[in-house]
Amino acid sequence: MRAVRYLPLALVACVSPPAPKYQPAIGNTELLLKQSTKLGVGKFSAAPGVSNHSLSVRGSALTGGSDGTFSTYLQDAMISELQTSARYDASSQLQISGVLTRNELSSGVSTGTAAMGAEFALTRNDQVCFKKTLVADHNWESSFIGAVAIPAAFTNYPTTVQKLLGELFADPDFIAAVRTGSGSPGN
Amino acid sequence: MGIAGLLRGSSRFAVVLALCVSTTGCLTMKSYVDPTLPVMSSTDLPKVRQPQPTTVLFEFKTKGNSNSRATSEMSGRVVAAVAQSGMFGQVSTAVTDPNGALLKITIDNVADSGGAVAKGVGTGLTLGLAGSLVTDNYICTATYIVQGKSYETTVHHALLSTIGNHSAPQGLTPMAPQEAMNQIVDQVVWHALAQLDKEYAFSVGSR
Repeated sequence: MRAVRYLPLALVACVSPPAPKYQPAIGNTELLLKQSTKLGVGKFSAAPGVSNHSLSVRGSALTGGSDGTFSTYLQDAMISELQTSARYDASSQLQISGVLTRNELSSGVSTGTAAMGAEFALTRNDQVCFKKTLVADHNWESSFIGAVAIPAAFTNYPTTVQKLLGELFADPDFIAAVRTGSGSPGN
Repeated sequence: MGIAGLLRGSSRFAVVLALCVSTTGCLTMKSYVDPTLPVMSSTDLPKVRQPQPTTVLFEFKTKGNSNSRATSEMSGRVVAAVAQSGMFGQVSTAVTDPNGALLKITIDNVADSGGAVAKGVGTGLTLGLAGSLVTDNYICTATYIVQGKSYETTVHHALLSTIGNHSAPQGLTPMAPQEAMNQIVDQVVWHALAQLDKEYAFSVGSR
C-alpha cells in the first residue's frame, strides 16, 4: 500500500524531458515592434563551465533544445521572437549572437528559482556595434511534492528565457545600436 | 489539446490528481464548466461592418507567470475562436503589418494551488474516498490596439473538477476535461470580443 501511495511521486522522479517549446512573450513582441530594423541571428554557444546540455531538478533533468543544447534553445528563442514581430531577416547586415554565461534551475520546497545570463553581441557587417552581458532571474511558487515542483520548474524555464530576451530588447544601448545600424529596414 | 496538455495548462492540483488517478484506477475525475458566465455561440457575436486583418498574440499564464507549454497547446484553440467570431479579416499569429491591428489575449490560471495540492494528496492517499472539488479560475484579458488606440477588457471564468467520491456541483453536467477547457477558451474569447465591440473598438479603421 505504501508503494502505491508514493508511486505518483516516483513517476516523475527520473524523467528527462526537453525544454518546452519556446513561445514569444507578448511584451517582447511589443518591444521589438518599436524597432524598425530587421536582424539576423548568428552563432550562439555556451561559456566553459555553464550547463549547456541538462539541468537537474530533484533527480530529474531538463534537456536542451533542438540539438540538445540550451545555447541553441536561446538561439531558436531569439529567432522565434524576431519572426513573430516581423523583425527577422537571416541575411540582414545586423546579426545578433550570444554566449550563455549562466544557466541555472532549482526547485526549493516553497520557491523555485532560475537564472540565465548571456553575453550578447550585435555586429554590423562583421563589426561589433554592441556587446553586453545581461542576466535574468525568475522565481515561482514551488512545492515539497516533486510531482508538482518538477513540472513547475521545467515549465518556468522558458519564462526565464523570455525575461532574458526582454532584458536585451529593452536595453537602451541595444536599441540605440539597432537604430543606428544599417541592417535591412523593417516594413 | 490533449488531456495531458490540459492538465499541464491547468493548476498543479490537476497534475497531482492525474497522477493519483493513474495509480489507483478507482478514482475518476470529472470536469464542469462554471455556469456563471452566460454561454454564447459565435453566431451571437455582433457583426463588424468591415472586418480588419489582425495579429493575435496569445499567452497562457499560471498565477501570472508565462506558461510556454500551455501557451503552445492552447494557442490553436484561441486563434480558431478569434477566426470563428467573423469579426476580423485575415487572422495571423505573427505580425505581417507592423502598423496593423493587434489583438493581445492572455488567459491566467489563478487557482489556489497550495490548498488544491493538499486536497489532491488527501484524495489520492484515501484512494478517492475523501473526494475533492477544486475550482480553477481563469482571467482572460483581451487588448485590441488599432491606429494608436488601445481597448482592453477582462472576462472571468472557472473550471470545476471533482475527483473521487465527491458529488457533482448542483445542476451541472460532467464533461471530458478537454471539452470543458475548449468551452472555457471559446467563451472567454467570444465574451471578450463582444465586450470590446461595445467599446466600439472594431469601428476604428472600418469606416
